[in-house]
Amino acid sequence: MPKIVQNQDPIETKDIPGNTMIEMIKVSRTYAPDIKALSDISFTVDTGELFFLIGRSGAGKTTLLKLICNMDTPSKGLIEVAGHNINNLKGKKLAHLRQKIGVAYQDFKLLSDRTVAENIAISMEVSYKKPRAIRQRVRDLLEQLQLTDKHDALTGDLSRGEQQRIALARSVANSPRLILVDEPTGNLDAATTERVMDLLTRCNKAGATIVIATHDASIYQKGNHRVMELRNGKIHSLSRNSR
Amino acid sequence: MNFWFAVFRQAGRNLRQTWTSQFMTFLTVSLSVLIFAFFYLIYTNMIGAGDRLSDDLRLIVYLEDDPGPEMQEQLRRKINNFDKTESIQFISKSDAYERFAEQLGEDSDVLTDMPRDFLPASIEVVPLKSLRGYNQIKLFSEYLATLPGSEKVQYGQEWVERFYYFTRLITIVVLLSGTLLILTATFMVAYTIRLTIMGRHEELELLKLVGATNNYIRTPFLLEGTLQGLMGSIIGLSALYILFQWISLHFTGPGLINLFHFTFFPPMVIVSIILGSIGLCTIGSFTSIQKFLKI
Ligand SMILES: Nc1ncnc2c1ncn2[C@@H]1O[C@H](COP(=O)(O)OP(=O)(O)OP(=O)(O)O)[C@@H](O)[C@H]1O
Ligand SMILES: [Mg+2]
Repeated sequence: MPKIVQNQDPIETKDIPGNTMIEMIKVSRTYAPDIKALSDISFTVDTGELFFLIGRSGAGKTTLLKLICNMDTPSKGLIEVAGHNINNLKGKKLAHLRQKIGVAYQDFKLLSDRTVAENIAISMEVSYKKPRAIRQRVRDLLEQLQLTDKHDALTGDLSRGEQQRIALARSVANSPRLILVDEPTGNLDAATTERVMDLLTRCNKAGATIVIATHDASIYQKGNHRVMELRNGKIHSLSRNSR
Repeated sequence: MNFWFAVFRQAGRNLRQTWTSQFMTFLTVSLSVLIFAFFYLIYTNMIGAGDRLSDDLRLIVYLEDDPGPEMQEQLRRKINNFDKTESIQFISKSDAYERFAEQLGEDSDVLTDMPRDFLPASIEVVPLKSLRGYNQIKLFSEYLATLPGSEKVQYGQEWVERFYYFTRLITIVVLLSGTLLILTATFMVAYTIRLTIMGRHEELELLKLVGATNNYIRTPFLLEGTLQGLMGSIIGLSALYILFQWISLHFTGPGLINLFHFTFFPPMVIVSIILGSIGLCTIGSFTSIQKFLKI
């Protein structure tokens, strides 16, 4: 009888195009005392999709992304990522799932006393990539984002636009299957925005599912993808862009 | 990149960031090990000396008169009634005289004018090895004093008593310094690791977010605790050994030290102290990191 091998990687098991990557059913998040950041959110993101999340400031975009990557827990409702109820995952399984999710946070979460290279490397280090591979990947990413000369600079000394790109580089460095990007172009000029979007598009072509939260109409109005608009924590519209 | 490479890199970063408090902890652990081991060394040597001395322990019952053979048999039975003994030897007045003369050696002529029965007869009782507690000896001697015809019982009471109380005192000091060692090793290490954790809180939180396993986060800190314990105990014990050598070098010759046959710890005890110290320090760091991981 063949032995059934337990897959170490929770996300890999259901990571097939056409499958569901993110599933939210009737999810609400209420902050004390009575702030309804999200109410009754239900939607699905397919594996390999490029998905946009838009809405005014305070609409609940960041809250939604935090729920998907298990930084925060919903007050009500069910969230599944790659077929796993993410709020039931613990310990090693949660860690392995998180290694497969890259997040570029709105507040960057960079280590200001570490160099750019060290910051980008951290996501690869925790999944035990080889030091040589890490160095190579860091150099590639910096080149794509036009930050080659910042390799050894401390991230605390960089401009916000530069920090934003470092945060993005870190989120994609480990080639995650799911990439959550919160406001990737807020501090960037048009040309740099283009480069950032190129990088994300390339990751998407390579098979990664990407969710981008943004105000920036210039990035979600091009191309054929779904856009979900939040208003006051509710889904206002969910439609496919086709331009 | 394998796990241990990551662990050592992380431990190195910790060390670089907080080396002053790490060094203070290391000193504290060394000092506690030194203090504890110092008293423990005295304790083991006391016990050793006590064993050697009690090998020579005998109770002497001075009698009013030489007992006849029948009386000797009765006394022997009486003594063995209380407790079994290693040996019971009767010494008559003339035996005592001869022993004394022998001890005097060349000066024995001072005895020429003395009557041969001027020394009292006695019984030498060597108690069983098992009967070596201070209280037991005391009870036994009290019993022997009630024997018919006994005048006085001697066994170097004062000396035994002092030795006994000193051993008690040292036992207490060993227990206290042992507690001190446990407290300092565990809490100092826990405290410095807490400091390190707080200083790198941001990074550790981020590590969790990018999917570092608990072992990835925990092991460098455990390793740090283990190293503190290992280094601290080795340095503490080495310091004690140097002190020990110095004392034996400067206090040789006739004196107390020779009587005590001062010896250092056997290897087993050294290994135990090192392992104990490692264990305590690792527990200290474990509690700190565990608190962080639970949040
Ligand atoms: N930890 C919190 N405690 C209390 N209220 C919160 C918390 N986090 C978010 N909120 C509230 O929830 C609502 C949604 O916040 P969220 O950060 O998700 O908005 P956003 O769409 O990301 O806005 P922006 O475009 O400005 O980033 C806001 O009203 C915010 O004040
Ligand atoms: Mg936001």
